[in-house]
Amino acid sequence: MYESKTKRWSLLFFVLGISIMMSSGCNTSEAPFLLNTVYVRAKKNEGLGELNAAQQKNLADTLNAIFGTPDTPELPQIAGVDFPGLVDLEKLRVAAGPVGRNESGRELGLYRKHCVHCHGITGDGAGPTASFLNPYPRDYRRGTFKFKSTKGTDRPTHEDLSRILVQGIPGTAMPSFRILDEGELDSLVHYVRYLGIRGELERRLIETAADELEDEELFLDLDQPGSGIFQERVSLIKEELAAIVDSWTETQVTEVPPPPVDWGSDASIATGKKWFFSSTTNCSKCHGDTALGDGQTNDYDEWTKDWTLKVNVNPLEDLEKIREYERLGALHPRNARPRNLRQGIYRGGRRPIDLYWRIKQGIAGTPMPAASSQLSDDDIWHVIDYVMTLPYDALSKPQNVPENQREIR
Amino acid sequence: MTLAWTTFPLIWVGSLVTTYDAGMAVPDWPSTYGYNLLFYPWQTWIAGPWDLFIEHGHRLLGAFVGLITIAFLVVTFRCDRRRWMQWMALGMLIAVIAQGVLGGSRVLFDSRFLALIHGCTGPIFFSLTVIACVLTSPHTTREQAGTCSSAGHTLQRLSLFTAIFAFLQLVLGAHLRHVAVDTSHEVFRVTVFFHLLMATVVLAHGIALALHVRRHFHDYRPLRRAANGLALLLCLQMMLGGATWVVKYSWPTWLADFQFAASYTVTAQSLPQSLIVTAHVALGSLILATALMLFVRSLHLLQPSLNATSPNHRGLLGVVV
Ligand code: HEC
Ligand code: HEC
Repeated sequence: MYESKTKRWSLLFFVLGISIMMSSGCNTSEAPFLLNTVYVRAKKNEGLGELNAAQQKNLADTLNAIFGTPDTPELPQIAGVDFPGLVDLEKLRVAAGPVGRNESGRELGLYRKHCVHCHGITGDGAGPTASFLNPYPRDYRRGTFKFKSTKGTDRPTHEDLSRILVQGIPGTAMPSFRILDEGELDSLVHYVRYLGIRGELERRLIETAADELEDEELFLDLDQPGSGIFQERVSLIKEELAAIVDSWTETQVTEVPPPPVDWGSDASIATGKKWFFSSTTNCSKCHGDTALGDGQTNDYDEWTKDWTLKVNVNPLEDLEKIREYERLGALHPRNARPRNLRQGIYRGGRRPIDLYWRIKQGIAGTPMPAASSQLSDDDIWHVIDYVMTLPYDALSKPQNVPENQREIR
Repeated sequence: MTLAWTTFPLIWVGSLVTTYDAGMAVPDWPSTYGYNLLFYPWQTWIAGPWDLFIEHGHRLLGAFVGLITIAFLVVTFRCDRRRWMQWMALGMLIAVIAQGVLGGSRVLFDSRFLALIHGCTGPIFFSLTVIACVLTSPHTTREQAGTCSSAGHTLQRLSLFTAIFAFLQLVLGAHLRHVAVDTSHEVFRVTVFFHLLMATVVLAHGIALALHVRRHFHDYRPLRRAANGLALLLCLQMMLGGATWVVKYSWPTWLADFQFAASYTVTAQSLPQSLIVTAHVALGSLILATALMLFVRSLHLLQPSLNATSPNHRGLLGVVV
């Protein structure tokens, strides 16, 4: 009795096991760059045109013709657009493609080896593991990066990107890649920029296509390469691409002035505290009166807003639309949480200069605003003073207060 | 015995290969960069990059295990008169060759899918070696069991189910490790969910098994030891599983308010990361093997006829030890 039952069950499980094994992985040969369909849908929700399957395929083909494929990336061969020091084809070839080594023993496929399971093949930040991670991995396709030395939403510098790769981002899933050598890090940074530039051009083409295309009209109709509209579109691509490349080449590090002479003194901290709780800066409105990061916690980051609030889709109410997005591969919208400043853990780096950059120009893509217009440079340093004492404040770590620690609150 | 002891490191090194994604470090097979496997200059191997070191090491070790399997086959044919034991030895040789070819094809076709299968069948071979170990050990052949009781049946069923679940769990785990680059996050999510579900199922079975053995087979030492060992391994494996998550993806958000979680930075391919992940994989094989071992012992308990024709184990031991 027992045994026949056992046998039947074991057979069932065996079949199940085999079918699980067969069900995935068969399609691993070459992963293509997929179109940003979430953005296509966002444009439709915004009230622009809806692109049909043929139009979407045409856009994807156009992008592939410009940028190549994940296995064999290309640099746009468009007269008048070059990539001085931004994207180097040699380096891309090291970072792209399947994992392996070339004849001379150099490692290839670095992106697929180290990054793809989080950041995704197109750099959409929605790789296989992404839905478990909080914050979600970065979507490069907007060109927006958080922890950098440049102004506002300006593009990051080469050093900004490689610093993140070396240090990782504490408290998030973004690892430190200090095991990689300089050349490898360099290639990865080039590849991140390549995906960023590609993604941004893709967004702009989608915007134009959703705005301009008639029913059934293709963005680039290869059957009529001589037509006026074709030429117009090609020069549009060229212009957009040139603008995107410029935004990367022209980005500039914000100079950091030396701290005021009384920096570190009680008076400096008190000034900082005043600003922190003032309605000019609103720091405490978001970070909370306790600075535990529990102030305003219901906002979203820009990556999410692009396809929700900005196109009149409320993540909490328009659930049907959100589900449609998720079916297209979007990650479920999540609130952006202000940092708990009592832990003394800064994701973008803990040097005073890092905090200066964060507070002076805000954290791009997140609700954290730039204080540059409200505060003078000295006042920013005072605020930093106050922020840096928060972890030692009585509320944070009663037992850890140094003897000579001043009374702050 | 020797065979099992050399196969286990093979599993470790094999999983190291995946941990470091070194599977394609050597682009050709069966040769290594054009050299015959055995004649690849060892200086280049030792001094070369880490991933080449482990990939080539995995190949050498695999070849070594193959040789031992041949030796085992010869010894079995000469010393063990149990027909089915001889068949098993032959089956093992075929299995090890198939596993090698599978590993080789994985390299030749650069296929993650074959790598996944290679990763799933490795533990099966390891389990075979452990079972062979049990079947040829003097313990098994000497001990006269044969309690044809319902307790024995339960034991048999529990251990079989533990083994099946453990294998399914291994397959699920292999899916998590060998994710295709274009796997969607939903698929991964579902796989993780089943991996966790299966973990609880295996754990529950393992503990039930240990309790059952404790109650009914207290005096049968090999059985008791194996069952307790299994329960212990399972608990350890759970912890390693959690640790694997943390060293790869950091602490979950609900712990973010704790200092240790907020300040933790994942470090790619750091020593703790690769050790923990690799240990998690290797322990999975060990659990499967232990469960199967218990199953084989329970079969033997129920059917003492299996060792009616006792082998000449002095000869066997002589060669194996
Ligand atoms: C385990 C998942 C994971 C892996 C692997 C990973 N990342 Fe990230 N990465 C993240 C997460 C999560 C973030 C977002 C952190 C945040 O928003 O605070 C991120 C952010 C980034 C950023 C943005 C930093 C900024 O200032 O905005 C860059 C650039 C980046 N990753 C590059 C890479 C590269 C290159 C690799 C491979 C070498 C890689 N990542 C591997 C999870 C990962
Ligand atoms: C509109 C809400 C808002 C306001 C106002 C605001 N912050 Fe933030 N802050 C955030 C959010 C959200 C983050 C987390 C950003 C991220 O990494 O996703 C953050 C992060 C930070 C960080 C962490 C940086 C790092 O590297 O981890 C610091 C420090 C900080 N804020 C200080 C301040 C100070 C000082 C002020 C006032 C001048 C201020 N914030 C005002 C929302 C705000």
